[in-house]
Amino acid sequence: MAVFTRTTKNLILKIDEFFDNIDIGLLVFKEAIKDFLDKDMDAFQRHLQKIESLENNADRLQREIENEMITHSILPQHRAEVSTLIDELDEIIDALKSSLNEFNIELPEIPPSLNKIFISLSETSVNAAEELIPAARAYFKAPYTVREKLLKVYYFESETDKISLNIKKIIFQEMDELDLAHKAHLRYIIHHVEVISDLAQKAADLLSGMAIKIVM
Amino acid sequence: MILFFLTSGLFLGWSLGANDASHIFGSAVGSKMISFRKAAIVASVFFILGAVIQGSGTSNTLAKLGAVNAIGGSFTVAFAAAVTIYMMTKFALPISTTQAIVGAIIGWNIFTGNNTDSFTLSKIVAAWIAGPVIGAVFAIILFILLKKIKKSVSIHLIRFESYIKTGLIVVGAFGAYSLGANNIANVMGVFIPAFHLQDLNLGFFTLNSNQQLFLLGSLAVATGIITYSWKVMETIGSNIVELSSEAALIVVLAQSLVLFIFSSTGLSEFFVSTGLPPIPMVPVSSSQVIVGCILGIGLYKGARNINFKVLRDIGLAWVASPVASGFLAFFLLFFMKNIFNINVGSKVAGSIGTSQQIPDSIMYDQTGVSGIIKYLLLGLLVFGTIGILFYILLENKKRKEMQRSEDKFWKNMKQK
Repeated sequence: MAVFTRTTKNLILKIDEFFDNIDIGLLVFKEAIKDFLDKDMDAFQRHLQKIESLENNADRLQREIENEMITHSILPQHRAEVSTLIDELDEIIDALKSSLNEFNIELPEIPPSLNKIFISLSETSVNAAEELIPAARAYFKAPYTVREKLLKVYYFESETDKISLNIKKIIFQEMDELDLAHKAHLRYIIHHVEVISDLAQKAADLLSGMAIKIVM
Repeated sequence: MILFFLTSGLFLGWSLGANDASHIFGSAVGSKMISFRKAAIVASVFFILGAVIQGSGTSNTLAKLGAVNAIGGSFTVAFAAAVTIYMMTKFALPISTTQAIVGAIIGWNIFTGNNTDSFTLSKIVAAWIAGPVIGAVFAIILFILLKKIKKSVSIHLIRFESYIKTGLIVVGAFGAYSLGANNIANVMGVFIPAFHLQDLNLGFFTLNSNQQLFLLGSLAVATGIITYSWKVMETIGSNIVELSSEAALIVVLAQSLVLFIFSSTGLSEFFVSTGLPPIPMVPVSSSQVIVGCILGIGLYKGARNINFKVLRDIGLAWVASPVASGFLAFFLLFFMKNIFNINVGSKVAGSIGTSQQIPDSIMYDQTGVSGIIKYLLLGLLVFGTIGILFYILLENKKRKEMQRSEDKFWKNMKQK
């Protein structure tokens, strides 16, 4: 029984560490976008490396969590859903890394007039994912509170959509000085930032169903 | 020859182990919370303990219903019950070992001209009805309590599930003990009046004649659990899998409590000492009690979830099982007596049969059987120890292999 208790404790710690990784990754992403817009590429590179290390760690933790749940027959009735949730969260940190890599490789030229709204887009999109983490933690500790926590995820996701539409409108209708290729590139980069909130919403939908099932 | 006569009881025991014992760990094994190996070991050990330590209460009640006073009669009564169970199961009709054996005893009473004690019979029937009802009430109360505790204590889901997992093993052990105490009478009860074995001194404790019979019966039950209950557990698991893990725990706990209540002489004596009426020591159907418990939780969650067909099945089993078994016992006794010329028992002089009124001349004194039991126990102890050691070694090997493969995976990942 002592062995089993230790396994349980280890698994709880690993799940918490996984959530911490995503949480820190989101903060790092916000900072990296600011660095990029401020043209501070050294800081940007440092943050990109940090995200890569967090993503690698999240992958390792994801595998270990899934292995331990199967090996020790933990949460047999909810195992598949918990694994899917962890997979969805891992996709968020994957998206953060791939988005920063796009910035790093393609070096998009963002007009300085768009800096403020671009920061607002990245912060709102990341906020949706940030609000998802306490809800995911609550699934394990207080499932009754999950749905109320998820409301903020949906709010920030819809705000992200609005800001994204607004930027696109500005780029395509008001910035005549930009050529079409530049505009298309900016739209592509906006999509990369926007996708974080979409992934958060996808995970929130799953989490919402999981919470109902466990409370019933 | 005497051991041959016991075979029908042992077959009944095997079928009890394969079917009824599966209800205790069915939901846990079916939902993969506990491995079948672990469940089978716990269920077998605790069933044997329950039967040997506390099995006499319900057996006395069956003996009061009809003291089958010849070994040929005991064999036929148990055989009739076993055949009824087999036939009704084959035609997918609801059946209970408890009800089949009671019907067969009444069949013996009618055949031999003994009166059936209507008071004992009414006590038994009342317990059959009360069992599922009490089970449902217990399940509702315990489920509400657990829900309240879970909500008030902020506990991590994984830790909670680990407690539930441990709880399922502990409660399952208690359930197996209670099932052994309550249902061993179905298997060996009819043999008690006709058997008299020498006390078996095992050093630290002594087994009397009844306990030796219970031990033999419970070993047959354990064989049923180990050899065949896997299939039944898988079926039950998939049927009850919609129950959450905590509901599964409550169902098993409520069922165990009901079985324990109807087989604990100590609890009954405590009731009497406080001025309450005694609890009847009656074997109740574990499958019907568990259905009552599940229905209780279904009622609490809203009656929409309930399949009321199972209630009809229970009602049908209350009537059909004893009637079918009684008729079959009557005809089999007729054949045994008139065609094979085997003594199947006789009318007990005086009032309604109790084991004390059976003449000594028709009771069997088998000192050799006690010797066999002694060697059987020794063999079990040796094989049990070897089995446990082998299990531990196997588990360690599996764990090490898993660790090796995991280390290799991460080593390869780092190299990439």
